[in-house]
Amino acid sequence: MAVFRPYLYTGGVHKHGLLIELLEDLGGYIIQKVVTGTEVNLIMLVPEKDIPIVKKQADDLLGMMVEAPLTGVEIAVVSPTLASHHLPHSACDVAEYLRHPGANTNMIGLARGMGRRVSLSMDYERKLINEHDIAVFTFGSFSDCIINKKPKLFEGIEIPIVVTGGPELKTEEVHGADLYVGNIGRTSHRLRKAEEVSALDKLNEGVGKIADNIRKQQAKDPLAVLPARVMNEIENQVPEIRTVLSPAPLTLQLNGVRVKLSYDEFHEKIENLEFDEGVTLSELADISKSKMKNYILIKIKSKSDVGFAI
Amino acid sequence: MDSLEVFDVESAIASEQEFYRKIIEDNLSNLKLAPAIGRIKVVLRPEDSLFQMAIILRDVGTKVTTTDIADMEAKPVAGEIIISIKKEQYIPELLGKLWERYGKANISQPDRWTVTISTDKPDQEAAFLKDMMVADPRHRLHENLVDFAIRVTPEGFRVRYHLYKGTQFIFVASEEALKREWIKETEAMLEELMKGGKK
Repeated sequence: MAVFRPYLYTGGVHKHGLLIELLEDLGGYIIQKVVTGTEVNLIMLVPEKDIPIVKKQADDLLGMMVEAPLTGVEIAVVSPTLASHHLPHSACDVAEYLRHPGANTNMIGLARGMGRRVSLSMDYERKLINEHDIAVFTFGSFSDCIINKKPKLFEGIEIPIVVTGGPELKTEEVHGADLYVGNIGRTSHRLRKAEEVSALDKLNEGVGKIADNIRKQQAKDPLAVLPARVMNEIENQVPEIRTVLSPAPLTLQLNGVRVKLSYDEFHEKIENLEFDEGVTLSELADISKSKMKNYILIKIKSKSDVGFAI
Repeated sequence: MDSLEVFDVESAIASEQEFYRKIIEDNLSNLKLAPAIGRIKVVLRPEDSLFQMAIILRDVGTKVTTTDIADMEAKPVAGEIIISIKKEQYIPELLGKLWERYGKANISQPDRWTVTISTDKPDQEAAFLKDMMVADPRHRLHENLVDFAIRVTPEGFRVRYHLYKGTQFIFVASEEALKREWIKETEAMLEELMKGGKK
């Protein structure tokens, strides 16, 4: 199976159709296309061996192609509280900054996550967080809280955990975290100072590495079908998706897709989604009601589960 | 007393102290409280889940009446009072008071600087309005101060104690039931501030 690399193309609208056609010919995918005035941004998945060809086409069009390592990754930015009197939260900046390299982020404010002894998360919240690919927990300024008290919020979280906080700590000191990034603690201002922005860069880099690791693990036992292909088929076979006003009606995940349509109304259509090979989506994936609103969550099974991959 | 003549933040770990100082500074400027505060001391003890704050306020302005912010003219024949605004910043408070007294239907605002009131007794009402208190900076300060205290306190510290007397303000917050000695300590902090604080 072809390995895909995520890229962001920025260039003029003129003749950008050539790039899209080339990508379709090569078997790549367009994840998102944003046209602003005379500029176009394309987030795409390019087959690894064909990258030079696509790059050459991008050069011919005088556009820029940069790697967008977090494309197709849905990240939960979890804050112990999103209380209005503490705005602006640093979590807002964290969520915004993670979008630069292509990620889709959702902010989750825990109902009872604040405090030390009293801090806890609910079953519903844990399930919601587990629907994502990576969880970023944004904590405060006290090392005592981050080391001793807050890690109990990680219980029941099965996805990789990234923690941000004020003090400079080592990742090993924060029990249960896969990565700790300092200098992003509680603030009452937007993060725009040099050291804060470089901490955010460090966070993006670290999250990118974690996403790459997940992809590498996946390559050992690939998914039965690529999430991007499911996305493509939904666009073709379920026209109602075009009427959805959410920013990302189809949100790609590393091992699935979130479809922002009502589960009760559309789940049969999604289950019966047909592929050229003659299989339906329900054979290849678990389709369930998402904890986020009434959306549909598709989690694709691996090749070893299904017995084949398309 | 100068504004922010003493600004102490104490915590066991120096770097955390700086984070908190920044949070307090940000909130002071967001609420425009800095000019009103003379001396402030904050002590943080995360290991005890404890937040203590003592503040000494500077003198703030006196009460604002309608004549301070506007000129008034009674028109007995037309049954009107015309108010020409001089200081725009107090308009929301003034309108609030007028609506309460005369009802929204009787107040009109033909332009930004003019408010007209329809009434049966323009002369008497104008005399009353002249001395009506429009805004009390002290009241606004109290609101802002409480808001400030809640904003800077760590979110989980929901058990709170506060005391506001004259120019003195103390605030204690914790996650656990408050201990008497914590409040005593904060009172001692206030006394220290009264003497001029640590130099």
